[in-house]
Amino acid sequence: MLIGLLNIDWGVITIMLPLAGGIACVLWPAMSKPAGLISVTGVVLAIAGLGWRIMENGTYRHAVGGWGAPLGIDLFADGLSLVMLIMTALVGLGISFYAKRFFSPCDAVRFWPIWLLLLAALNALFLSADIFNLYVALEMTGLAAVALTALTGRIDALGGAMRYLLATLLGSLAYLLGVVLLYHDAGSVDIATLAQRIEPNAAVWTALGLMSAGLALKTALFPLSFWLPPAHASAPAPVSALLSALVIKASFYILLRLWLELFGAFAEGVSMLLGLLGAAAILWGSLQALRQTRIKLLVAYSTVAQIGYLFLIYPLALVSNGMAASMAAYLAFSHALAKSAMFLAAGNLMQFGGHDRIADLDRAVQRLPLTVAAFALAGVSIMGLPPSSGFVGKWLLLDAAMSQGRWDLAVVMIIGGLLAAGYIFKVLGYAFTQAEVPHDARAVPAEMEWAALLLAIGAILLGFMAPQIFALIHPDLAVNASEAGTVWTA
Amino acid sequence: MDGIIFLQWAFDAVLGLGLLWLAWRALNSSDLFKAIVLFIAFGLLMALAWVRLNASDVALAEAAIGAGLTGALLLAALARLETMTDQNVSGVSAHPAHPPSPTPAGSRFSRGLLILLLSASTAGMGYAVWSLPSYSTGLSMDVAAHLDSSGVSNPVTAVLLNFRSYDTLLEMIVLLLAVLGVWSLDGLPPQPEKPPATVLETLSRFLTPVFILVAAYLLWVGADAPGGAFQAGSVLGATGVLLLLSGWRPRARLMQWPLRLALTTGAGAFILLGLLTLLLEKQLLAYPVAQAGRMILLLESLATVSIAATLAILFLSVSSGHKMKTGKEEKE
Repeated sequence: MLIGLLNIDWGVITIMLPLAGGIACVLWPAMSKPAGLISVTGVVLAIAGLGWRIMENGTYRHAVGGWGAPLGIDLFADGLSLVMLIMTALVGLGISFYAKRFFSPCDAVRFWPIWLLLLAALNALFLSADIFNLYVALEMTGLAAVALTALTGRIDALGGAMRYLLATLLGSLAYLLGVVLLYHDAGSVDIATLAQRIEPNAAVWTALGLMSAGLALKTALFPLSFWLPPAHASAPAPVSALLSALVIKASFYILLRLWLELFGAFAEGVSMLLGLLGAAAILWGSLQALRQTRIKLLVAYSTVAQIGYLFLIYPLALVSNGMAASMAAYLAFSHALAKSAMFLAAGNLMQFGGHDRIADLDRAVQRLPLTVAAFALAGVSIMGLPPSSGFVGKWLLLDAAMSQGRWDLAVVMIIGGLLAAGYIFKVLGYAFTQAEVPHDARAVPAEMEWAALLLAIGAILLGFMAPQIFALIHPDLAVNASEAGTVWTA
Repeated sequence: MDGIIFLQWAFDAVLGLGLLWLAWRALNSSDLFKAIVLFIAFGLLMALAWVRLNASDVALAEAAIGAGLTGALLLAALARLETMTDQNVSGVSAHPAHPPSPTPAGSRFSRGLLILLLSASTAGMGYAVWSLPSYSTGLSMDVAAHLDSSGVSNPVTAVLLNFRSYDTLLEMIVLLLAVLGVWSLDGLPPQPEKPPATVLETLSRFLTPVFILVAAYLLWVGADAPGGAFQAGSVLGATGVLLLLSGWRPRARLMQWPLRLALTTGAGAFILLGLLTLLLEKQLLAYPVAQAGRMILLLESLATVSIAATLAILFLSVSSGHKMKTGKEEKE
């Protein structure tokens, strides 16, 4: 019985199940909500099955069509892919239960099919080992994300979506141009084959530049982050959560994968540049977040800043290369949980007061205690306070920076943490005080409050799971993480 | 012999320069209508360029989608934009209201910087392409070696529908997402009745059967020669656009379940077949060699229906009018 379960091809199911669910939603709109919830729950179970299989048998590989790379396409999953898949499934599950109550029946019919197809695209992306297949998955992700941004049909959302569409298409095209150059140079689009064949020549360098620039644009690395705040702030709350928590991680994952497998060995200068931009993103994004008067824009600028931390991996990975994948995946996971909780909490506050002006929060803490608790707990992780996952991730990063003598990066990280504390306490402060003009309040469904709170608690609990996550990605390096995990308990 | 080579060289040179010139004029034109017409001309020349590169499959798709359907979509969007600005529904404008004001020094500096950056990256890319070996076999040897067991003899179809059919499955989903994206703006569009022009109506009566025949031929021939689902689907989609232009509107009943079925049948067939092969062969989309040809034809036929429905419905959604929510209630 158990052996039979182990033999099921869970990786394929994580892609095909949400695809089938999405198509069912298009065919039978009235069934959207149950079909959506069943598919998302099924994906969580399938990823659990895949994780079990990877832990039993090692890395997962499936040759689609039976051809095998380089002629066909291989699905591939190692620890890094698995952590990204787990992140997608858990955050997606939380957001789905929130969306179940959030959308009106009319909007729900539009939301569920696109979200299920987006989920399939993300799973396909994290399971791909082929740079052209990655492009197709990236394009699916981008189009679905744009469609979700424009879901409400309001004019500011349309403007945000249009900007997002242009940015994401430009990013994909730059990436595709890089794929073409690599294929012509090395005669394959399979990552493992490419890794054996490419040497740093003019074509490879150009591909590296185009792909890095395109993916950095899609990940919204400063100064290519101009599109993110309007798109993420104008979308409905569950969509903002999906965009900030999951969609930008997709292009980040591709860049990380390319770096680990193909480019990292010779592109030290570019690594330095990415780190520099990351540091600039932390400072600029945090300062902009401090200046905002609306919660959703504040949270969106906080995303710009937190992306910066992810890119500090690149210059620091030069010495301790083995840790890079683990640290990046852990930080991405931590940010996904905290940021989705924050956007969902912001959505609750908006539904509660009918607006998202920070100055008019009007004693939200007494009237929506669970939501404010969710925002505060997520904030603890974003600021990097113990015992949250944000603390462990940023501590490891700080430790790496200091042990390599990169005091500049360490100082930026500390300033970033202080600024984050500034903008989060700004929101919390107004949540405790009474506004000058009292406002009418609308009820918020309990499920929406709990969804935000559970994701925020997840961001805290992940702090205790660091050794397990690190062991999944790189079994030899688990020791370092468990040491870091015990820093605050000592 | 030398004469022919010279002629070919001269043709390619004119083609290349023409493409650059059309692209520049289209980007530079302040009149959107003119820009779209130039863009359509650009698409047609681009199709010729693909023919010169011996990529007839791409040329067919470029002519039908790049020039034809994209052009129709752009023109429909422009017509919508103009009616919207006439009614002052929103702040967008089809025509620039006043000539661009003289650029201040800061803007001129950033424009200069942009030009410098773009020129540098173009030069870099040009050098990279120049440094590549002029001919690379890529995977074509591999494809040729396995062509016998693919079920078709056109290598492009073998790659799209067999060796990399998983990519094509995802591409079908991309098409579906495009429709869902347009629908997510305002749901299914209402259909205003327009009096058809007589010439257009007579013409479309003659052309529709011919186009359907052409689509069927392209679909069938795709197994051995340039053609296939994307080309057939775009020809069929163009037929739909022609019918819509001549005033035909599908009945309300057709716009519900039958339309949804047509839009999803391509992707749905891929998924069902994928799951079936996963059960029987333990491999996603691994066809048994004896049945491969038939399975590819089935997949291609259903994909043709989906592609045609997608393209025609996109045109219908863009060209029909609808109201836009202003979103006042949440803004303040």
